[in-house]
This record gives sequence, C-alpha cells and structure tokens, in this order.
Amino acid sequence: MIDLQLIEQCRGGNFNNFRKLVELTSPLVYSVAFRMLGDEDQAKDVVQETMVTIWQKLKKIKTAEVYKTWIYRITVNKCYDKMRKRKRNPEYLADDLEWKRISDKISEGPSHALENSETTRIISILTDRLGKKQKAVFILTDLEGMSSDEVSEITGISKSSVKANLFHARKSISEKIEKYL
Amino acid sequence: MKPESEKYQKIINLLKESGPGLGSTEDIERVVIRRISKGNYSRSWFSDTIDFLFSWVYIVWVRRALISASVILVFIFILQQGVILRRIDMLSSQTILNNREKVSTQVDEIDKLFIEYKNWGKRFPSKTITISEKQMQELLESVNELKLKYKDLESIIDSDPELQKMIQKKLNENNRLKINL
Repeated sequence: MIDLQLIEQCRGGNFNNFRKLVELTSPLVYSVAFRMLGDEDQAKDVVQETMVTIWQKLKKIKTAEVYKTWIYRITVNKCYDKMRKRKRNPEYLADDLEWKRISDKISEGPSHALENSETTRIISILTDRLGKKQKAVFILTDLEGMSSDEVSEITGISKSSVKANLFHARKSISEKIEKYL
Repeated sequence: MKPESEKYQKIINLLKESGPGLGSTEDIERVVIRRISKGNYSRSWFSDTIDFLFSWVYIVWVRRALISASVILVFIFILQQGVILRRIDMLSSQTILNNREKVSTQVDEIDKLFIEYKNWGKRFPSKTITISEKQMQELLESVNELKLKYKDLESIIDSDPELQKMIQKKLNENNRLKINL
C-alpha cells in the first residue's frame, strides 16, 4: 500500500524509504509496460526510467491517490516513447498451431496462468492492428481494470475518446477471436 | 461489446490472471538508486527552474491550446501578408511622386493631366506621368495666376466696348473662338 507518509519520507531524500516505494510501485509499472511493449527487457527499462522520474518529481505529488494516476501516466508516456523509437513491428501473424495453443489455454481456464512469453504472444497477436492509444486504453481498462475516468486522466485523452478507442480495440480483438478461435 | 463474445471475456480473464511477474525488485532498486545517486548532484537549481518554468507544457489542454493558438496566428499572419501584398500591388500601380523625378510629358497635355491630378486625389494613374510634388505645386500656382489674369482681362474688355468690338473683329478675322477656361 502506497501512502502519503511514505511519499513524504521519500521527499526528504531518504533512499531507504525510496527503496520501499520502488518495491511497491515497480510491479504496477512493470505490468503496464510489459503488456504495452511485449518485451521484458524494455519493460524493465521503463520501470527504471519511471522510478528515476518519480524520484526527480516527487515534490509535485500532493496525495497518494494522485500518485497512482501519475505513475501510470509516466509509464504510458515512456512506453509511447519506446514504441516510437523502435522500428515498426511486423504484423504478428499467428498460424493455426498458435491459435490452437491459445484455444487450449483458454480451455484450461484461468487456473493455469500463462507464462510471460505466452502472455506477450497472445497480446501481440490480438493487438497488432491497434494504434498505440487504442492499445493503451485496452490494456488499462480491460487488463488493468481501470475506470474510463482514470484512463482518461492517465492517457490525457477525453473520456469520450477513451470509450471510442476502447470500442474499436474490443471490436478488432473480438473479430480476431471470432475468426480464429 | 457484443454479449456473444464469451471467448473474448475468457481470454481477457486469462490475461488478467496471468499478470506478468517482475520477480525480484532488488535489481531494479539497485539500478534506480545508482542512477539517482549519480544524478543527485547534477540535479541542480537549474533543472528545478526549467521544470518550474516549462513543466506546464506537459498539461494536455495547455498543449492543445498552444497548438490551436499557433495555427490561428499562422493563419492571421498569412492573411495579413495577403492584404499587405494586395496593398503593395495597388500602390505600385500608382505613380509615386518624389522631388527627384522630372516631368516627362508634352506641354499640351498639362490641362488634361491637371484634371486627372484633381480626380485621382493628388495621384496620377500609372504610366501617364512622373512629376515632382514641387513642380505640381508650381503648376497649380501658375494656373491660378493665369485664371486671375484672365478674369482681369475679361473685366477690362467688358468695361470697354471699343475694345470689345476690336477683339471681336480680330477674332472673326482669324476665324477663331474664345476659349473658356
């Protein structure tokens, strides 16, 4: 649990408290970065860069609630930067075997959690046609379970735009699922 | 989203359950603390000032407002340039009077030009004449003087019937008419 007291202590420049903050915050940042980028190393880079930025700008944080939105905003922006810098990914075309594997995983149910590589593959297959904003909105809403208000604040786009992006993302993903599974 | 996409929901649940595992955060903590320690001294009042002065550019609505304002300013600039060019075209179609340039016309045309000068609001239509303001002033003065002299002459002729007869006779002889100015 990230509270304002911990943030206040970090502002004083105490590295030990900041270690605690990194420990609490990193998994949240990593989850979004990994799902957005589909690459463990790049996601870890984003975590590091985000934590350094948090340290530098911690003075601006007034409440713990704002902190959560703020770290996600930094994370999403850093992911956008990474996506922009790297060469355009070739369209991830899954073969029948791959779809069969995904289908089997679904049949196994949620008790059989996916490995990171499998998660990456599935997200890549499903979201390869989405724009970066659509992808961000889909991941934050459907996978991270955030409300459209929160997503709007994190991504800096209007609530109606969030809903429109989400609608298109879901439609595109549903079409793939209906077609191949 | 369509209610029939049960498979969609299953995949989303599977992906949600399979949150990417970061593992130990110690490596990230170490790297982040090292980066912060390195940059701690270089982080000076300068970067704080830059942040304080320019961090507002990261606010989405401010950024959009600035973009809109700049587009409007560019539009106004282009519009203004158009107006200025039109005005320059119009002015260049009229002859600019200056003291250095000399009269370049026949003496016979003076009357016609004088009328034009009056009609055109003290400007000549292009390519008809180039004349200095001083010369034009002299011309006007001489015309006025001529008018006065003509009036004097008329009054002298009117007051003397003998003279009238003589002039009439002379005119008839020469088969010429009196010119009204």
